[in-house]
Amino acid sequence: MDFLSFIGDNLQIFLSYTGFANATSGHLIMILVGLVFIYLAIAKEFEPMLLIPIGFGILIGNIPFKDAGLQLGIYEEGSVLNILYQGVTQGWYPPLIFLGIGAMTDFSALISNPKLMLIGAAAQFGIFGAYMLSLVFGFDPAQAGAIGIIGGADGPTAIFLSSKLAPNLMGAIAVSAYSYMALVPVIQPPIMRLLTSKKERVIRMKPPRAVSQTEKIIFPIVGLLLTCFLVPSGLPLLGMLFFGNLIKESGVTRRLAETARGPLIDVITILLGITVGASTQATQFLTLNSLKIFGLGALSFVIATSAGVLFVKFFNVFLKRENKINPLIGNAGVSAVPDSARISQIVGLEYDSTNYLLMHAMGPNVAGVIGSAVAAGVLLGFLG
Amino acid sequence: MKINRLKISLLSLSLLCAFSNVEAQRTTSLKINEVLVINETNYQDDYGVQHPWIEIYNSSAGTVNIAGCFLTTDLNQPRMYPIPKGDVLTKVKPHQHMLFWADGQPSRGTFHLSFTLDSIGSNFIALFDSDGKTLIDSVTVPAGQVADISYGLVHDGWDAKRLDEELRLNQSYEGGNKLWIPFTQVTPSSNNFILDKNDKVENFSKNDSIGIGMTLTAMSVVFFGLLALYLSFKVVGKIAISLSHRRVMKTSGVSIKEAKDMHEQSSGEVFAAIAMALYEDSQHPHDEESTVLTIKNTARDYSPWSSKIYMLRETPTKK
Repeated sequence: MDFLSFIGDNLQIFLSYTGFANATSGHLIMILVGLVFIYLAIAKEFEPMLLIPIGFGILIGNIPFKDAGLQLGIYEEGSVLNILYQGVTQGWYPPLIFLGIGAMTDFSALISNPKLMLIGAAAQFGIFGAYMLSLVFGFDPAQAGAIGIIGGADGPTAIFLSSKLAPNLMGAIAVSAYSYMALVPVIQPPIMRLLTSKKERVIRMKPPRAVSQTEKIIFPIVGLLLTCFLVPSGLPLLGMLFFGNLIKESGVTRRLAETARGPLIDVITILLGITVGASTQATQFLTLNSLKIFGLGALSFVIATSAGVLFVKFFNVFLKRENKINPLIGNAGVSAVPDSARISQIVGLEYDSTNYLLMHAMGPNVAGVIGSAVAAGVLLGFLG
Repeated sequence: MKINRLKISLLSLSLLCAFSNVEAQRTTSLKINEVLVINETNYQDDYGVQHPWIEIYNSSAGTVNIAGCFLTTDLNQPRMYPIPKGDVLTKVKPHQHMLFWADGQPSRGTFHLSFTLDSIGSNFIALFDSDGKTLIDSVTVPAGQVADISYGLVHDGWDAKRLDEELRLNQSYEGGNKLWIPFTQVTPSSNNFILDKNDKVENFSKNDSIGIGMTLTAMSVVFFGLLALYLSFKVVGKIAISLSHRRVMKTSGVSIKEAKDMHEQSSGEVFAAIAMALYEDSQHPHDEESTVLTIKNTARDYSPWSSKIYMLRETPTKK
């Protein structure tokens, strides 16, 4: 009898440690969110390389367990997940991602038509529109800055800035930024159609001129010096972005460039995605603030897209007829490389099946990456 | 040749590492931060005794090892107290403090100085670098110090330049125009000024509650940055185009106008058409091909994944 009660007691103790005994409605909601992410990634192919790790990370982070000092959870110091999460909290994953982005980005479109850079600047209104709205919703300026950066449509930048300005909101900000980046094909086209006329949508742009290798080599050097002298706080992101681009364009460091744009960025993307997903533990994540952040994130994307498109229309007023820009590439200023540029191409082809806008849209697209990193540097400088 | 190049690269890399290590360990970022000359009922040392103390602050963002430096009260004797080497506790973490007891009993440990402070007259205190010649920082604590009231920097690690900057840029600064002030509440091994809020954030909350100021300023910076890039690359582009015209002039022996025309005509489409024509010519295409294309279903019964020879042990055969 004693032995049986011993077994029974042990089983009861064991059961109290299982996920079933510790599950709350919050955990189930978050697991559902994770499953939706995985579904969107696989069935709809929305940014699968981001949504699969994040979605699965959400599942990992929301397996309920009893806190028994076993160092399991991402917020428990010394746990495996916690060690991997350091790259997010200490902010060193994002610069490494930027290194890879630099090594895979061809800035030719931007160099051949540098005025497209201004579209990348205009789209950053999304950041500051969301900043103002966040202040209205009761966030303090540092938190508002971290939320606003969602409008930069740049996951690594959002993580980098929120880890510095509002670490407690980082999970919600990162998930929101990546979710809306994945939803760019849903969010942007209606706004683009709404703000442009049929005539504007079929504007044909001059083909970009061939860019010499010397120009491509000068670009990251001048880019770094100009932007980082202006905003030194953007150095970790911009420094790595331009360094990555230089090792690509120099032509003599092919191995380094291939590592940066291949294995390195893949490894960091996996670690970043899975840990950001796992950081959304229901107890920390399911709050009113998270809901507000999701709402503000959506608005920031709308503002950024509108600002980009409207700026092109405004810019066209001053341009000669043969130099006019198709406003459908305005949306690409929100960075989200290369998805937003692809949207310009798809929407453009709907109205003229021979008008290929992809190359042109890549200009504001990469300018958006620079613009959002500069904006993050400004916010960090003012509020950090 | 390749090995030599590799050697040179590795040597440069190690030199760079060594140099950056020296940079990270710079003792010049150490500051004399706070001094308590008369310690009657205040902070006690590890022997439970009150002594005058000197606080050093690391104003840099990297750990600095103070070992080998010298503390003195006499400019003519810079090596009065050499801070012992080999003690792990002499490493001062970024923006952290280290306390030395001016008790004249160096045998009590690394942090007990070989001199005391004058409780009546003024006290000159200096920190010298490990060469015994380079003055890192010094302060003269005025005479007439009051018991248990320390004399310290208004903000940790500040110097006159930093104070000037604050007075110039921050109109709401309430610390006055003095760099060194008396502290009735002494702060040994902790910050002289307790930061309980982020001034920048407070400033924005107060003066820019709806964020228009931030938006205008930040967007101007973003536009200015990208505008500067735009203008730079407009110039770079023009230079590149003119260089390319010159190259065409040299190789084709044409005038600048003809070179420009040639450049404008040679668009990507033209190159693509030429390439296509050359390709077709090299393939000798026919109007009617002699081969026939058919579609035939193939059964893929065998695959290494399903092969039994990888899973089953072969039956031994007699040879």
